[in-house]
Amino acid sequence: MTGSQTHPNTLDVMQLNIALPNGHRLLRDVSLSLRPGEVRVLVGESGAGKSMIGKAVLGILPQNLKVTEGEILLEGQHLNAMTPWTRRKTVAQSAALIPQDPLTALNPARRIGPQITDPLVRIHGWSRTKARETALALLDRVHIRDPKRVMESYPHELSGGMRQRVLIAAAFAPSPRLIVADEPTTALDVTVQKQILRLIRELQQETATAVLFVTHDMGVVAKVSQQVTVLFAGKVMEDAPTERIFTDPRHPYTRALIAATPSYADLDRPFSPVPQALIAELQDDIVRDDARHQGGAR
Amino acid sequence: MLLKTTLIRLLTTAVTLFGVAVVVFVLVRVAPGNPIAMMLPPGATEADIAALEALYGFDKSLPEQFVIWLGGVLQGDFGTSITLRRPVDELVLSRLPATLELSIMALVIAVALGTAIAVIGARRRGTATEVGLDLSSGAVLSVPDFLWGLVFVLLFGVLWPVLSISGRIDPQIEVDFTSNFYTFEGLLRGRLDVVQSTLSHMLMPALALALPLAAMIAQLLKQNLKEVLLQDYTTLARVRGFSETSVILREALRNALLPTLTLVGVQFTFLIGGTVIVERIFSYEGLGNMAIDAVINRDLPLIQGIVLLFAALFIVINLLVDLSYTLLNPRLRHG
Ligand SMILES: Nc1ncnc2c1ncn2[C@@H]1O[C@H](COP(=O)(O)OP(=O)(O)OP(=O)(O)O)[C@@H](O)[C@H]1O
Ligand SMILES: [Mg+2]
Repeated sequence: MTGSQTHPNTLDVMQLNIALPNGHRLLRDVSLSLRPGEVRVLVGESGAGKSMIGKAVLGILPQNLKVTEGEILLEGQHLNAMTPWTRRKTVAQSAALIPQDPLTALNPARRIGPQITDPLVRIHGWSRTKARETALALLDRVHIRDPKRVMESYPHELSGGMRQRVLIAAAFAPSPRLIVADEPTTALDVTVQKQILRLIRELQQETATAVLFVTHDMGVVAKVSQQVTVLFAGKVMEDAPTERIFTDPRHPYTRALIAATPSYADLDRPFSPVPQALIAELQDDIVRDDARHQGGAR
Repeated sequence: MLLKTTLIRLLTTAVTLFGVAVVVFVLVRVAPGNPIAMMLPPGATEADIAALEALYGFDKSLPEQFVIWLGGVLQGDFGTSITLRRPVDELVLSRLPATLELSIMALVIAVALGTAIAVIGARRRGTATEVGLDLSSGAVLSVPDFLWGLVFVLLFGVLWPVLSISGRIDPQIEVDFTSNFYTFEGLLRGRLDVVQSTLSHMLMPALALALPLAAMIAQLLKQNLKEVLLQDYTTLARVRGFSETSVILREALRNALLPTLTLVGVQFTFLIGGTVIVERIFSYEGLGNMAIDAVINRDLPLIQGIVLLFAALFIVINLLVDLSYTLLNPRLRHG
């Protein structure tokens, strides 16, 4: 991988804090980075702030939330310092999103074809022919039979799995350097989940695209990633290479998450949720942390 | 399938029109006022009145009169106007184009204005602009169309007379058209003087009719737009680099328009109902103005003809709305 010589990372998130207008923090000093072609999983329970990180990177945070501290660098460019217009263009040039729910992520009133090719033509300045050929090739690559017919279809004519394939094709179409995949398989049938996961993995490797992969499933982590960030209450608990996280988890919360993951290989192993005592202890830490942060800010 | 729905549709249409026919027929006859007595000079004798009543068939019993009238209608004979002494269908059809043109212009203004305001409101959602637009459309909505008509007459007819406030076209202009669709035929024939004059005569009554509907469209469409703008596909469009305005226009508008369409269809029939008084205010020579004269003069055949035509018009409009709903919604089109 060559990449930019002066700045080797595709994404750097540095000491990112996101807060509600009342000052309550939803992300607490989150740092992480992605090298070109690398897959990093964000894992944690519901509400941990996984999606928030992806949204902050892509510039689609809800209006009431603000980045209060920290930096986001996309291919070395400071996103926070940009005007909204430049930022939008920069993000669109180098990043893409594979959304969680393929049923709501396609416009029901428009045909599939233009939904893939429109951004290529209108944002990336491609010719219609090139956009169409790329779309057809990618639809074929994501194992959609009869891509020409699918381009002419409306979303309601496709199954959930097909739609997610379409959205994956659309995400990879402009050759982004970073893809944020926010729980791309949770809304799908278990049988389809594996295929979709494999597909993202394959395309990611073929194109050497960095992927920020959000999941709450430790089982997925092992399958797709090189790096793992474990989150709890908007705070990074552990940041480690994937092979190490399973063999030698250092944070008690990571160990608890692994223990809480049902293992398909070993159905007899008792299922153990994350212990309440541990959660209480971690939350105490967070409260102390927030008090210190407030004190420091004043 | 399609045949069955069409048949059901035709059947209900027939039943509706028959019901309307019965109701009008009875209502105009139980209402006080004798049309024949009003036609004759004050000194007319009982015998004169009786003779004329026999001529128009008013001496027969109500059911008999109805059967005779309905028999005529089914053969395309709507009777003769008592005051104007010409066939009702001829009179009514000669006025219909004026009312249609006025209603269509009002509809176009209402949709364009309402959509523009809704889009601006959605674009500036959460700001003072949105609140201001909401308040204004609420205020506009609380004033009915005929009051807007009077306001415009005062403003642009009396205080600052820039627009024509009376009639359909400048009487100086000679019109030798085959139809009474002055605007449409004028456009086809390239008679821009006619088009210009009719449009400027229509502007104020059309605006009066359009304002309440525009406000209604603005409110509902903006609400729908805001809901659609929370959908994942609009978020995805933003990530792909589209500006908020193009997200609204390209991704959200079509989906938000669909539920608005039903409202526009229903309200358009009310708008046509509104032409009756608004045409009167602006002395606009349309069906509504004729209807008021007919009621004042107790011109029973003419009233019946006009009401039937309005009913048929409403049915056609509802049909068109259903049709466009199917055309705009891909789910129904393939269903
Ligand atoms: N617009 C908002 N206003 C206030 N709080 C919000 C808003 N959006 C998210 N939050 C809160 O921020 C926290 C993190 O949300 P986020 O969506 O990132 O969680 P997540 O880790 O993706 O969880 P999940 O697995 O359920 O998707 C949650 O506690 C959530 O309630
Ligand atoms: Mg989430």
